[in-house]
Amino acid sequence: MSNEPTPIIEFKNVGLSYDDNSVLKNIDFELEAGKFYTLLGPSGSGKTTILNLISGQLTVTYGDILFEGQVINHVPVEKRHMNTVFQDYGLFPNMNVFENVAFGPSIKGKSKKEIKAKVTEMLELVKLGEYADREITELSGGQRQRVAIARALANDPEVLLLDEPLSALDYKLRKEMQYELREIQQRLGITFVFVTHDQEEALAMSDWIFVMNDGVIQQNGSPEDIYDEPINHFVADFIGESNILDGIMTADYLVHFTGKDFENVDAGMRPNERVEVVLRPEDLDLTTVENGKLVVTIDDQSFRGDYYEITAIDDDGNEWQVQATNKSKVGERVGLTFDPEDIHIMRFNESENDFDARLESYEDDDDNAKK
Amino acid sequence: MVKKIKWANGYLWLVFILLYLPIFFLIVYSFNAGDVMQGWEGFSFKHYTELFADTRIIEIVVSTLLIALLSSLIASIIGTAGALYIYNLKYALAKNIFLSLNNILLVSPDVIIGASFLILFTVMGFALGFTSVLLSHIAFSIPIVVLMVLPRLQEMNQSLVAAAKDLGANNWQMLSRVILPVISPGILAGFFMAFTYSLDDFAVTFFVTGNGFTTLSVEIYSRARQGVSLEINALSAMMFMVSLLLVLAYYIISTRSGKNKKRGTRLVLPASEGL
Repeated sequence: MSNEPTPIIEFKNVGLSYDDNSVLKNIDFELEAGKFYTLLGPSGSGKTTILNLISGQLTVTYGDILFEGQVINHVPVEKRHMNTVFQDYGLFPNMNVFENVAFGPSIKGKSKKEIKAKVTEMLELVKLGEYADREITELSGGQRQRVAIARALANDPEVLLLDEPLSALDYKLRKEMQYELREIQQRLGITFVFVTHDQEEALAMSDWIFVMNDGVIQQNGSPEDIYDEPINHFVADFIGESNILDGIMTADYLVHFTGKDFENVDAGMRPNERVEVVLRPEDLDLTTVENGKLVVTIDDQSFRGDYYEITAIDDDGNEWQVQATNKSKVGERVGLTFDPEDIHIMRFNESENDFDARLESYEDDDDNAKK
Repeated sequence: MVKKIKWANGYLWLVFILLYLPIFFLIVYSFNAGDVMQGWEGFSFKHYTELFADTRIIEIVVSTLLIALLSSLIASIIGTAGALYIYNLKYALAKNIFLSLNNILLVSPDVIIGASFLILFTVMGFALGFTSVLLSHIAFSIPIVVLMVLPRLQEMNQSLVAAAKDLGANNWQMLSRVILPVISPGILAGFFMAFTYSLDDFAVTFFVTGNGFTTLSVEIYSRARQGVSLEINALSAMMFMVSLLLVLAYYIISTRSGKNKKRGTRLVLPASEGL
């Protein structure tokens, strides 16, 4: 453990409150250099606050923020080795594209030649090489976005902070920029900390995601981890579509819901513990009534291009979201089927550490059993 | 619909004609060959030649312009600094107090301001003359500049300041490279307004001119009391042309400055009449 590289950014029990109003509570995390991190959460969840603490726009109420092992709680914004892409870009309207990108290097007292080389390089990077002489007001939203990225990167930051930078763009442009941002991050190999409320964006771009709510990190992990094994109701509901039902863990690998017992792959809980069961709509398949594990009635369906989104109701009155490739008839009774691996169990109030520990305990058992 | 617009147009023209009629009347009579405003006796430049031969008047015009220029320049600097200070105040209460103090100066009658300056200068034993006029003009121009600059600051996108800091700028670099250029249209408007206020101020100036020194408005007033000579008409006509040129210059500068022309944020010159 000790020969691990020093994290580039580290939060040690950080909190922030205004008067008696606590915005962030006991935040702990480490960021490794060179990775793409995303802070994901609804508005007011504290994600932008974390970003502002990293950049230095805000100061902690308690706890420590470390940069490469050094406490930087009171280092002013302009002295930190990081730059920000602002949500509304914050481009200087009195300067053209070149002057905007050149702002950082010229403040640092670089020579004219160096500045020109740097600006040209950065504008090439964001594919705006031809636009150096344009006024900001002559650019489209997407182009302004690129200028803002180029300007932040022109300072050679070790960490680039991005505050919902894509939220003002239309869907297609946003997709394009997601791809490009990821590419830029990998090309430059610097750390990106990206703030968004868009789960799709987070899943598509990140190496590691922090899901935030109410000023607390709910869960962190790779996009796959977070999607496949949400730790609680909030995360399951916020990331992707889900069917969440109340259930009881009858025994290890056996869960009871909608009046039946189902085989699953979770274990390590108290006998007959009350839990929540998550089933993703894309993991559910429609079949004949005889072959179904559950019988449901189709209530509604809408065409989504690559699939049909179906709402069905089972005999207990639970609503089910299903993504099906084939069209169904509203009012038809059909069977619903899924594999044991598709069932994900969430315990109430389980912390991330407990969750990880429990997973490890029974995965070890499995390994031993196989031997 | 069309008819309505025509009515509105007609009304607008009527108002403008009524407003400009006295000035045109005055200008037309400045070319009168006779010596009075009753009856046209033919075209002549006689009053203009008289005017240019009158060294006293020329001297007064020069010092009036000098006072206007100096006072509006200094007021622009102090007023901008004041607006920045008010803008940066953290507490809303302090902000409102300063803003109200500023606005009270704007709306209080010139007579009172003039009289109070006279009392102040007398108590301090300050000799009345060029300096006392300059100081009082600076004083009444500052609130005008603050009032023109502050909205610009408040409109300014907050992330500009954050971005400048983020990119490594210190306070001075942030001010000189970002904030001042962005609010320059407001400063310019404040400067021009202060200039016109100073140029046509009578009430305040009247109190603090003293014996030797005088400005145009005070001079015209004292001459008018002895019956208006058409030389005054000629002078007024020329002052009117100067104002016209000022407005034109302001228009050209404000459309060109700040590279804002594409956004269409052209400024409207505020009414220059004293309160």
